[in-house]
Amino acid sequence: MSKWPALNPVAWTISAFLVAALPHLAAMPVWLSAVVVAACAWRLYAAHAQSGPPPKLIRLLITGMAIALVVIAFGGLWGRRTATALLCVMLATKMMEMFTLRDLRLVASVSFFLIATQFLFSERLMYLAYLVVGCLVSTTALVRIQEIHANPEGLLPDQKDSVRSSVLLVLMALPVALTLFVLFPRLAQPLWGLPDQVMDGRTGLSEDMSPGSISELFLDDSPAFRVEFEGDPPPVDQRYWRGPVLWNFDGTTWTRPFFGDTPTRQFVPPGTQPIRYRVQLEPHERRWLFALDYPVNAPDQAVVTVDHQVINPHPITALTGYEITSNPLFVDMPQLPDGARSVALRLPEDRNPRTIALARQLRSEHPNDRDLINSVLRWFRQEPFSYTLSASPLGRHGADEFLFDLRAGYCEYYASAFAILMRAAGIPTRIVTGYQGGLWQEGGEYLLVRQSDAHAWTEVWLDGSGWTRVDPTAAVSPDRIEQGARGVIARPDALFDLDWIEQIRNRYDRLQHLWNRWVLGFDHERQQDFLSRLGLPNLSPERIALLMLGVLLLVSAPISYLLIRRQPPKAISEAQTAWLRLLQSLRRMKIEKHPAETPLEFAKRVEHMLADRGPDFLGLANAYCRIHYGGQSALTEDFVAQARQFSTRSS
Amino acid sequence: MRAVLSGETMKVRHGLNRWFKAWIKRRGPSQPPLTLHYRQIFILPTRFGWMLGALMFAMLMGSLNFNNNLGLLTTFIVAGLASNSMLLAYRTLNRLCVAHTHAAPVHAGQDAQLLITLACNSERARPGLEISTDKQEKLISLAGGQTASVSLSIPTWHRGWQELGRCRIQTCQPIGLFRAWSWFWPESKLLVWPSPAQSPPPLPDSAADLDGELDQSGSEGDEFFALRDWREGDPLHRIAWKASQRHQTLLSREFRQPRSPDLMLDLSRAPGRGLEHRLSILTAWALQAHRQQRAWSLKLGSEILGPARDEAHLQRCLRALAEY
Repeated sequence: MSKWPALNPVAWTISAFLVAALPHLAAMPVWLSAVVVAACAWRLYAAHAQSGPPPKLIRLLITGMAIALVVIAFGGLWGRRTATALLCVMLATKMMEMFTLRDLRLVASVSFFLIATQFLFSERLMYLAYLVVGCLVSTTALVRIQEIHANPEGLLPDQKDSVRSSVLLVLMALPVALTLFVLFPRLAQPLWGLPDQVMDGRTGLSEDMSPGSISELFLDDSPAFRVEFEGDPPPVDQRYWRGPVLWNFDGTTWTRPFFGDTPTRQFVPPGTQPIRYRVQLEPHERRWLFALDYPVNAPDQAVVTVDHQVINPHPITALTGYEITSNPLFVDMPQLPDGARSVALRLPEDRNPRTIALARQLRSEHPNDRDLINSVLRWFRQEPFSYTLSASPLGRHGADEFLFDLRAGYCEYYASAFAILMRAAGIPTRIVTGYQGGLWQEGGEYLLVRQSDAHAWTEVWLDGSGWTRVDPTAAVSPDRIEQGARGVIARPDALFDLDWIEQIRNRYDRLQHLWNRWVLGFDHERQQDFLSRLGLPNLSPERIALLMLGVLLLVSAPISYLLIRRQPPKAISEAQTAWLRLLQSLRRMKIEKHPAETPLEFAKRVEHMLADRGPDFLGLANAYCRIHYGGQSALTEDFVAQARQFSTRSS
Repeated sequence: MRAVLSGETMKVRHGLNRWFKAWIKRRGPSQPPLTLHYRQIFILPTRFGWMLGALMFAMLMGSLNFNNNLGLLTTFIVAGLASNSMLLAYRTLNRLCVAHTHAAPVHAGQDAQLLITLACNSERARPGLEISTDKQEKLISLAGGQTASVSLSIPTWHRGWQELGRCRIQTCQPIGLFRAWSWFWPESKLLVWPSPAQSPPPLPDSAADLDGELDQSGSEGDEFFALRDWREGDPLHRIAWKASQRHQTLLSREFRQPRSPDLMLDLSRAPGRGLEHRLSILTAWALQAHRQQRAWSLKLGSEILGPARDEAHLQRCLRALAEY
């Protein structure tokens, strides 16, 4: 017996750790992940060479250094990424003292925790595979560790058996897990808030807009949100998903105004053509929710601001579902207050002289606001303006450069230049960012809005119709509105334009949508909904807990029976099986064989009890003895057939 | 540790032990042969089990708070693993048969070997069984249908019948989260013979001689015993002339008093300080007499055993000495 645990269980434990840590390692700086992997490699080598742990002083020193590395890597910022990286690194330093069963078990079981923490970052469908594989490897590691304990001489059973038993363990855990998942009372309100400072850089709309900054977003095909409509989806040209509304312009950047978070005091009625829909919003680490113009109500704790943006009290860090209604016919601010008008007209005076001159000229030609806007849009259409994602960044007089020199850009360029032009002409204007369009998934009956559908447009205030949406990009490139950014821009890599790849992507997205809807979106409300559909409406958490316990008992009873049921010694041959069945049928007739009797003795004793069938039985006993003890297995087939005949006749 | 405990605590402990044993007995048979079943099997989490429980609680609170459904699913899979591992720990002991126990008598001070035979009556293997007494623990794994024994050392101190304390059979299968265990008491007590005296006085050769001269070796008798080299002073009639001629050297015939057919080992006549010392001298004598294959008898008080010279007689006498 060697002093240290054998290589195989150690290797399984390290695999459990590495599988669980894989996404965390991918999110760390490469050199930090290299440190973690190196620690695992060292431990494997130590197990191979059967060497022991390093001295305590060295362990302390390395642990201190590892913590310092984490601090350096994350710049001392505390967030979820830092916390999980610290956990990974601490487990890696644990490798130095992972020489007892206790420590091996600790690492294998903390792997489960590590798996669970990954879901704070992403709960996409593909992580289901990660969950399954991680649980299997960790369980196998625990089984292997137990086998060291059960076999101190060091002869471990075949690892195939361990893998099989861990697969069984996990499979048998599923009924209990699913019952708990569905019936465990959920919290209606979180007990504590989310940390606002988060470390994970996620792509999404930013809070401000300076033309040239978000172009990489248009190439990002990952979903932003999915929408299911009650009834038909709105027509394509109405699918403007409202995000941050920008009022302030400093010459290069558009930002939200100081009153951006103020709740609206305007009442938005549902109107005659309300659109009701449910959004599953992917986490984007910002506080806003997306809605069509104009949201009637705010879900839960969220508020609708004065410029009709829906703002959540905390950042969206997990998949969030909300139901919302919009009234597309609503007239926003038929009277414009002076304060708002002055903000919506403010322009830095020393910028874009040519644009301002153009605005003045247009104003003198068109005293009417609507005529002026139409002439500008016509101008966009007639002049060689084009839509492209590979536009160059703009300098000090951005609008001038764009309108008179470049004449190529994407929505932000158009929205920004148009807004500047309007403000210079004295028309109150604001910029709205958000998403436009979306892909209607026929099979799934939902609208998929991707990051590449990000868009920016303007709203001008007109007497009589209030804030009115004007999308200058639509004037230049109607395709952009009809088909989305991807419809306009040829992808650099033609491979991804293949139809079948697109189809697979759409199919996968439909799966992802179902996953989001039924698994990730399952919360307190859905639980109540599910229970009331089962005829149990309005259960209190205590009652749900009771129901859960009851169902758990129901579910675990068959599992317990399967596990614990009697398993008599297996018959070693077909003939024996038949013989045992024969004895069983006699037992029903209250004829019992004593354990000490030989088959022949028994047959002779009971011959007269069986009356006319006595000789038959004696013959069977004889045949059995010849097969079982005399090795004449050729007789088996006949014997089995006759025995069956005998049994059926007696029952 | 036992020596340190005061009389009072010993009493309390004995009381508790008795109560505990009675309680276990009420739950089912507690002596082999016994087949373990649910009334005799206890289950509690191990330290590792409690640790995983705490970890699960942390995962549960975190996932519930953020309504993180995959996190919850992970937590619940671990919960399912734990509940199944409880069942599996129980299953490893369920219907396991403790067939019999046996401990051969030993002399006081020696370690007795308690042999415990386990039988697995089903197709199911029983890996990782830990069998322990207060002093020692052994591991054993049974394949399906297999019967196997373990032996555990039991220290002895005093002659007499020694209680073999309770034995525990436990397992932490399959992943060490739960410990299932069961108690049983060996069906018989352990016979502890007196320890033989280290350097006992020579055997008392006859009942009469026990009074005075103890050293009888070399004394003359009238029964021929052996031939030996002639020594000065040997009378002439002792010389074995014919044999001497054959061996080309002078040989004398040696005569011994015939061994008393009833070598009597009497406690009341044995030397030694105190009863225990005399018993241990008697034990040494008995063993010596048995080794010399002599017929001997043992007198303890009014009871006389023997004379005889066989193994059974020795066992009987040693037992009488232990019980006296």
